[in-house]
Amino acid sequence: MLVQRRDQLEGLLAYLISLAAILLTLFPIIWLLSVALKSQRDAFAMPPKLIFQPIADHFLSLLERPGFVEAFLNSVLVTVIGVSIAIVIAIFASYGIHRFHFRGKKLFGLWLLLAYMLPEFLFVIPMYVLYQRIGLYDTHLGLALVYQVHSLPFAVWLIRSFFKEVPRELDDASRIDGCGQLGTLRHVYIPLAAPGIAATAILTAIWIWNELTIALSLSFSEAQTITVAVASFRGYTSINWGAMSAASIVAILPMLLFAVFAQKYIVKGLTLGSLKG
Amino acid sequence: MQALGSKNFAYLLIAPAVLILIITSLYPAVFSFILSFFNWNWGIRFDFIGLGNYAELFRSAEFWQVLYQTFFFAVVATALELALGLALAVVVDRLKFGQSIIRTLLLTPLMVSGIIVALMSKIALDPMLGIVNYALTTLGLPPSPFFGATSTAMPTVIMVDAWWQTAFVFIIVLAGLQSLPQEPIEAARVDGASGWQTFLRVKLPMLRPVLFTILIFRTIDTLKVFDIIFGTTGGGPQIATEVMQTLAYRKAFSFLQMSESMTGMVIFSVIVLAICLIYLRLEERLELD
Repeated sequence: MLVQRRDQLEGLLAYLISLAAILLTLFPIIWLLSVALKSQRDAFAMPPKLIFQPIADHFLSLLERPGFVEAFLNSVLVTVIGVSIAIVIAIFASYGIHRFHFRGKKLFGLWLLLAYMLPEFLFVIPMYVLYQRIGLYDTHLGLALVYQVHSLPFAVWLIRSFFKEVPRELDDASRIDGCGQLGTLRHVYIPLAAPGIAATAILTAIWIWNELTIALSLSFSEAQTITVAVASFRGYTSINWGAMSAASIVAILPMLLFAVFAQKYIVKGLTLGSLKG
Repeated sequence: MQALGSKNFAYLLIAPAVLILIITSLYPAVFSFILSFFNWNWGIRFDFIGLGNYAELFRSAEFWQVLYQTFFFAVVATALELALGLALAVVVDRLKFGQSIIRTLLLTPLMVSGIIVALMSKIALDPMLGIVNYALTTLGLPPSPFFGATSTAMPTVIMVDAWWQTAFVFIIVLAGLQSLPQEPIEAARVDGASGWQTFLRVKLPMLRPVLFTILIFRTIDTLKVFDIIFGTTGGGPQIATEVMQTLAYRKAFSFLQMSESMTGMVIFSVIVLAICLIYLRLEERLELD
């Protein structure tokens, strides 16, 4: 009896703590949305207004802000290119690591890990110098390429752990059926690891979309990304909270949609990599 | 079971990845290392000055303070996020209904860009007009200057980072808890261990590899912190929240002291990679016992 009572009480407490954590997690985002929908006067009102007349002005003003819509589209483009490069190259590299023994394999793995860990400002200035020379500065391809220093090791690591889950018998069977090495990759590994590859692509997309440090240094106007555009509100924030919040909401939205519709993949990708390595 | 010539085929498979790594990591690392022995300010002149940049950095009090602050931020933020994420995972793991929706909601901060987290916290934590100070004063508590004072700025950016990244720890520990083998847990329960004892003596040791992986990632990530600080304090007030990466940015893009910025990054990269390798060594040793 007593044990059961205690169990129920602990269960209740667990729900209360979870609820508090959810409130703490969501409140800043909801508050940001409310500021984006408030008039300047309502946003600065003391005490803060919980009930107010929502307006769309700040969102509409973004359409007229030079470069904002372009920045959104730039981010879409950079993300698509960056994810494509990472996934295609990582599939081949993961297959190589998973399926074959070769000299330097350990070194290759270590190199991937260390590249992933490098601080951004070690490589942005050399990349800036190189890009100025070869005309990749402030281009979508240039950004997508630099992002590989982070995205490629990440994708190789994840896709390899998904390849490990593929039963060895299927690999052998395809070989007996006369599939070549690329045939086995195409007909066995890629289809079976497809959900994992999708998870990897989604996580890579989220990372690239949200990246600021590299984009700030290697894009200027033509390829300026959404995070750089949002960061440009910094500085005179005290004047223009409304537009700044609206811009932030616009930048968050695609990722929140991801979170809702692809949650399974996101969790799968985040967890498998660290549980199985 | 390898066919003849498959070794060459393996090299062919990894060749594109190696090429990309050469361009994006090997070339910049070598370039930065070489430039750290020169004096270069974006212009066409490169003057060889030997260890001049290093000597200047080691002599400057600012460099040591910023290095210390970077580690302070990383250690406190990582510890806080690990503690909160672990606790939250244990709590959510107990829930019998609604676990998946709660998990989805708690995952949201990971979808948000660091720069947006920064701007969002600037609005909520504004000393004059922010909702948080309003709530504090309403509850009869003293308001805080948050980002605005040298004494409170660092704890505030750490708090913001914890809001952002605790979810990362939470989601992985939760998955770790749920994939633990059930037999040892059942055995402990049969032996009369309480829930707390089971957690401490059985589950926590089994989670060790997972926690270790999280520790590596959070340590390196927090050492490299940029967006959160760039978007809130910009390193200020004075240099109270300046960290290695914001310092490198300021030196390169505001003062055009390229070689000094790169020298700082060369030293910092060596430190980061050394920590990474030490962790890997420890992990190997842990796995052997």
